[in-house]
Amino acid sequence: MIGAWMFLRFGRLFSGSIVALAGLTSPACAQQETTDGADALRRGDYQTAIDALARAASQPQAAASDYRLLARALSKVGRYDEAEEAVRGGMERVTDPEELHNTLGELLDLRGRVDESGSAFREAMASAASDRNVAALNLAVLQYRQGEVDAAMAAFNGFIDLYNETPDLPPHDLVAVGTALRYLGQRDYRLVHDARRALDEAIAADPSALDARIRLGELFLEKYNGPEARRLFKEVLEVNPNHPAALLGMAKVLDFESQPGAVTSARKSLEVNPSFVPSRVFMARMSLNVEDYAQAIEEAEGALEVNPRSLEALSVLAAARYLKGDEEGFAKTRDRALEINPRYAELFNIAAELLVQSRRYHEGVDLARQAVHVDEDSWRAYAILGTNQLRIGEIQEGRLSLETSFSGDPFNLWTKNTLDLLDTFEHYEIIRTPHFEIMLRADEVELLAPYFSAVSEEAYQRMTERYGYEPTVPIRVEVFPNHSDFSVRTLGLPGLGALGVAFGPVIAMDSPSARGVGEFNWGSTLWHEIAHVVHLGMTDHRMPRWLGEGLAVFEERKAREGWGSDVGLPFLMAYESGRLLPFSQLNNGFVRPSYPQQVAFSYLQASLVLELIEERNGFPAILDMLAGYRQGRSTDEIVRAVLGTDVEEVDELFDDYLRKRFAGPLAAIYGFPEAPAGRGANQLSRAVDKDDFLANLAAGKQLTDEGRAEEAIPFLERAKELFPEYAAPDSPYWYLATIYTEKGDEERAAAELEALTSLNETHYAANLRLASLRQATGNVAGAAAALERALYIHPYEIPVHERLADLYAQMADWVSAVQERRSALALEPVDRAGALYRLARAHFEAGDRAAARRAVLQTLEIAPNFQEAQELLLQLRQAGGK
Amino acid sequence: MRLLLTLCLVALPAWPAAAQQTHLVVIGGLGGDPAYSDTFHNWAVELVDAAVDRHGLSPENVVFLGEQPQRDPARIDERSSRENIERILVDLAGRAAPGDVVFVVVIGHGSSIGDEARINLPGPDMGPSDFAPLLDRFTGQSVVFVNTASASGAFLAPLSAANRTIVTATKTSRERNETVFGGFFIEALAGEGADTDKDGRVSVLEAFHFARQEVAREYEADNRMLTEHAILDDNGDGEGSEEPDGRKTDGVLARSLFLDSGSPVAAIAAGSQAGDSVLGRLYREKGQLEGRIQQLRGQKESLDPELYERELEALLVDLALKSQEIRRREGGQP
Repeated sequence: MIGAWMFLRFGRLFSGSIVALAGLTSPACAQQETTDGADALRRGDYQTAIDALARAASQPQAAASDYRLLARALSKVGRYDEAEEAVRGGMERVTDPEELHNTLGELLDLRGRVDESGSAFREAMASAASDRNVAALNLAVLQYRQGEVDAAMAAFNGFIDLYNETPDLPPHDLVAVGTALRYLGQRDYRLVHDARRALDEAIAADPSALDARIRLGELFLEKYNGPEARRLFKEVLEVNPNHPAALLGMAKVLDFESQPGAVTSARKSLEVNPSFVPSRVFMARMSLNVEDYAQAIEEAEGALEVNPRSLEALSVLAAARYLKGDEEGFAKTRDRALEINPRYAELFNIAAELLVQSRRYHEGVDLARQAVHVDEDSWRAYAILGTNQLRIGEIQEGRLSLETSFSGDPFNLWTKNTLDLLDTFEHYEIIRTPHFEIMLRADEVELLAPYFSAVSEEAYQRMTERYGYEPTVPIRVEVFPNHSDFSVRTLGLPGLGALGVAFGPVIAMDSPSARGVGEFNWGSTLWHEIAHVVHLGMTDHRMPRWLGEGLAVFEERKAREGWGSDVGLPFLMAYESGRLLPFSQLNNGFVRPSYPQQVAFSYLQASLVLELIEERNGFPAILDMLAGYRQGRSTDEIVRAVLGTDVEEVDELFDDYLRKRFAGPLAAIYGFPEAPAGRGANQLSRAVDKDDFLANLAAGKQLTDEGRAEEAIPFLERAKELFPEYAAPDSPYWYLATIYTEKGDEERAAAELEALTSLNETHYAANLRLASLRQATGNVAGAAAALERALYIHPYEIPVHERLADLYAQMADWVSAVQERRSALALEPVDRAGALYRLARAHFEAGDRAAARRAVLQTLEIAPNFQEAQELLLQLRQAGGK
Repeated sequence: MRLLLTLCLVALPAWPAAAQQTHLVVIGGLGGDPAYSDTFHNWAVELVDAAVDRHGLSPENVVFLGEQPQRDPARIDERSSRENIERILVDLAGRAAPGDVVFVVVIGHGSSIGDEARINLPGPDMGPSDFAPLLDRFTGQSVVFVNTASASGAFLAPLSAANRTIVTATKTSRERNETVFGGFFIEALAGEGADTDKDGRVSVLEAFHFARQEVAREYEADNRMLTEHAILDDNGDGEGSEEPDGRKTDGVLARSLFLDSGSPVAAIAAGSQAGDSVLGRLYREKGQLEGRIQQLRGQKESLDPELYERELEALLVDLALKSQEIRRREGGQP
């Protein structure tokens, strides 16, 4: 038990110190306090640990290890000053003060007091202290951080000898060896494996060791192995759920794997230790990810208050200032960091990465070049440089940078994937149009090049006219038949859910063959990405995500009827349940979504915001907003200046707009759809509230399924009336079209499908069926229009091209007919001779006799006795066609 | 400049003799599941009907052995048991004339243990070693053996022989997944889409190419990995070709084999028999032109493209004019 008098007595010795709070106990009890304190420290019960270890340290016979443990416990909760005081006090009291020099050095280092910490490490190294090797490592790391790389590397190298020459190294020395090898791995990647081995040995030597696991986890994460890192941090957290470094490590793993919870974990580490600089830096980066520059600066400055020489904190502060447009602030912070370490490439790497996250690829490349300039061994810098050179269209330069990076860091999966992808580029061809370079895989060129060229040029012409801005040309469009390749081109990894991406002058996207029929509309996707090119160029890549994505969808809608996301049931339900973000927070829906559908909803919502702005303030307001972002103004400023209001009022305006625009459907949605299972159509139809959209739809579907089409019609018509924008695959339009077709009412069936396809951009079957209906009623142009829409969804069916060619022929549009005959041929039909003959005939009708002759000769080369082709050949001969 | 080849005599393709007959034996195996039974039955019916209705085979020359004869007694002759198959083939070997063409088309599920493959039948299954002695009986006939089943690749090498065309839906016995080749092969023979040389007839080679391409297209459209690779052997070397070119590798024989029994040679003979020597001469000249075109195509890679095109055009124009003349002579439209 601790007596009050003891507190007073020791108060004289260590006035105001943590040890003074403890009291004397018997030697046996003191030993127990040490054990209890160490146990509590290990399991993260830091206050208990501090109390017990303070009592142990207060004993006359206290050992240096008691003080070391106490300092460690105090530093775990950020009480660095008290920890230093305890160590210094201990050095005066114990018989083996040399055992505390390294610990003192580590504490000083945490505060950026590098001169003092260096001295402390040197004193430890000069002694026979048990942790003198750890001190040597710490000194080398210190040197490394200050840019004395050669000296540091020489010191790290010494650890190889230490390992080879010393059998049975204690665990803490094995951790030191592993850490040294991790640094040496920067110059010789093979040593990374040795680093892992040393750390594994440290864990094997002391299975309860937490620090070795932390180091190993960090090594795995550094080498892009999230699952292994996660396993190690998890093991630590199972023992000690309050371990700041493990909590941060887990946060980094979650961020690395794009899993939720990263911020929560990092925040928890700061709850344990508010002065934990790496976590402050991490939080600053997280704030930058969501473009909250003020918060990022506050976090970074908080970290620098603890350690004014923290290069990581300076880097993130510099980046925040850069992103905020404070070039002077950036330069000052940069200079401050480079003064500490002139070779600190990470300063530029971090800023480059963050700029790239904000889609400022050119500036990212410039910064990565500076990173390479200050440290030619920064493989990360080469990787960032290469990846982003590729994004701005510098393909050869990008490849070289990535190859350099991979030569030094062959663990980088992103680099490897990207280099592997670049190897496949030899199978692609570049098609040049006046404003585009379209890269298509060779086996897709014949089919896709004409369509992609036409859509690209049309989009360019229409948008440059509307916006009065011409982007830098040529715009490169890379089209990947394999979605994984598109994903690697975009992120370096497979698994991206998107369909296309624009990096500025470079677009990458899925080919229509990359996805199943009806999964996407390649035409609207391409249009969307070209819109990004225009808007990114207009704002010098300085627009927020909500504006970029919203405008791109907004432009899709202007391009073709039915293109662009449509307002569906889930969106309106999210709105009704308050899950849509207000305009003022809309950007978070893109950069920090809180539920899976939020990104998709945010695209749609942003486009509707822009429709509101266009309706309220006119299209020129949108141009003014873009100009404002180019000037580096904030959304608040722009909204005030351009819209004459503030963001809070826009929140209200938008809410009002949505509520009015979708008043009908909102009033007709009573709740989440319930499956009508177990309820017969009779029961269902009787129970239907005439104003309930879902109930009417369900009854109509059920009656249709039961073959009672006549009875289904009123319900389906009512559902359509209640929610005319509903164009999902089970929309009333589809069911009604089916019913009217069966009834032989082709005009009404066609009208339903016309309405459906004017809302739904991916309904392939509806377009084909509509084409047949239009054709049957002699509406050739309508049939052709439906098939043209179908080709934007799935251009791989020969009969569709042949049908469309026939329709064009009926319309005497022979140029288009030639195109469709060519497309059919590009799909390698079994009946190649037939396809060639039809192409020859189209050429002939189009008046291109030379092309007709070539095609008919190709036809007859395959099928010499093809009578119709023979006749065409003779006809051409008679006409003198050559 | 004209090419030397214009001076060459060209051999006509090996058309079957005019008096030849074509025989078709369709074997429908066990479905195991109603859906498969339906599919196999429908394929077999489509083939049998096309043979008679479209290709003009005498119903006596068509035998349909099915899993369940009671399902379609008008078409199914007998149950597809091993015993019946053996009896039918032995009988056919006894009555087929030299020069006849014998088609044996197997539809069903295949299985394999190691390299030993079987076709699943009602009762005992049959493997290549069971069919080999039966096919060996057709010494004077051209035999076309088509196995559309899974794992059928293992049938090719043991059954390969001179004057025999073997087609299997899979390359090896390890391709054991359900196959779709059979449906497309039969569609090719029953329809018009496979007549790629526009001569109004579908050869075994054309049917093979059609089915192979459509199989690939179907797998691609479904975004599935291709698990069946059909092969054809007709040069007796026991090595199947996935892409027989009809010239250098396999396909030379298969391009001259048709389910029907008509042929240009038959027309020549018919013309001669009708006492129209002019028509006979026109056909012979037409045949020579076709041969020269074929020979020119064989030299395409080694010729200057412009020269090739000029020569080809000249021959094609001659052929077109010759065909017009024939049609006029035969009383049709020019």
